[in-house]
Formats: sequence, C-alpha cells, structure tokens
Amino acid sequence: MRCFRAQVNVTVSSGRTFPGGLGFLRPPAEIELGAYGLDLRGLRVADIGAGEGRLALGAARAAASVLAVDPDRGALARGRVEARRQGISNVKFSEGAAQSLRLPDASFDVVIFSWTL
Amino acid sequence: MVDALQEAHRILVERGVFVDARPDSGVSARVRAKSARGTVIGTIGTQRLTKMDDTMSDRAVREVLRRRLFRSRRRGRLWHAIPFEDSAELNDYLRDHLRFSRRVHWLVPPARRGTPLFVERAVRFEILEKRSNDELTSARRRD
Repeated sequence: MRCFRAQVNVTVSSGRTFPGGLGFLRPPAEIELGAYGLDLRGLRVADIGAGEGRLALGAARAAASVLAVDPDRGALARGRVEARRQGISNVKFSEGAAQSLRLPDASFDVVIFSWTL
Repeated sequence: MVDALQEAHRILVERGVFVDARPDSGVSARVRAKSARGTVIGTIGTQRLTKMDDTMSDRAVREVLRRRLFRSRRRGRLWHAIPFEDSAELNDYLRDHLRFSRRVHWLVPPARRGTPLFVERAVRFEILEKRSNDELTSARRRD
C-alpha cells in the first residue's frame, strides 16, 4: 500500500501540553497519527474502539472516509456532535464491538486499535 | 483479543494496515516538575492486573503474526504529557485510575518538587500489514 511514508523516527515526544477537556488525557490525534507515519490521504479508515472519536476526527482530515466504532452510545453521540462542530462530514459513528464487527470483508485500507486491545 | 485481531484482518484489504497502540506498561510514567521537559521528580508504575492484561494483548498480537495473518512493519513509542496543578490534583487523578498505580514513587523530597506537575506516559504502537492471500497460501504450503 502506498500509505507508508518514509521511515520515521520511532520515538517521538509530544513536547507540548494540552489542558482543557477530556482530550488532554490522550495524545492529540495529530501527534499520535504523526507517530504512526502513515499517509491516510484517500484511504478508508476504521477506528475500532473509537470512543468520542478523538483519533477518528483527526484521521478524517486526511482520509477519504473514517468509520468510528465503539460500544458506548454516549461516546458516539458526543463524537457526532463534535464532528458537526468541526464541520467534518466524512466520518461515521457506529455502535459495535471489536470482536464482532458487522462490516463487510476487505472494506478498509487502515484499521486502528488505539487503547483498544 | 485474538478474535478482535481476526476481525480487523477480515475487514482489511490485502496489504492493508493495522495499527495497535496502547499505553506501555513496561515503562513507568515519569513525573516532571515545572514543565513537560522539566526534571523527573517521580515515577508511576502500572497496576499488576493491567500489566497482565497488556501481556495478554501482546500475546494476541504475537499469535496473529505467528499465524502469518500480518507482518510487522514498524514499532515505536511516543510520549504524552498530562498536566496537573499540583500533587493533590495528581493524587486525585491516580485514586480512580484503571491503569496507573495509586501512588507516585517520589524521587525527591516534597520541598524540591515544584509545580505544576506533568505525567509523561509512554504509548507504544506497532504497525502491521495484512499479508496478501497469495503470500498466506505459499507460506502455508511451505509449512
């Protein structure tokens, strides 16, 4: 797949702090996705165990589409609100569990388990 | 856990990318004073049961690699700093935490700690690539 960027330095530091909101308890999406060194442009991404969509919303800025899956309806609802607030329209939120995804075979280019396993 | 990884494998296209990222319980979190790059004045370990869970997650990843469903492309670690006004706020945070130990292992006496505090935790990740069906078939033939 073409999504691999050139080899990145595998140890990165945020070097920043992010007070305010629950989001600061996890790395910001741009830092975490940057560490992965993936080029998500034009790709279909599934974020499994997405919670409120911290990473899904970040990925949606580059990806063709993002599906955020989580068993927590409340978190998904908050994610939808945040997506609307940010004007992001290529992310969908869906209830589901990682062990039994109701999704078709071979339907994603990238699958992310962040804080999921 | 292997079930979840098999599901990820199923929904991925051939040579699609799977990312597994989790807090790294093999490395103690560092408590820094005054800034996210300040002096390390303490460490925070991980609860024993959480470490066991993490070991099981690691085993699940190794298992799908052993089955040749994926190949490992890259591993890495990033550091994430969480700010706290002072040790009271940090202790409140740790009291209900599901992963961290309940107490900071302080490396300096209270008078030398300073504020604010920053808990810098390690997050490890591994990038896996789904093997193509052809690769999987030929690997199984070789076995």
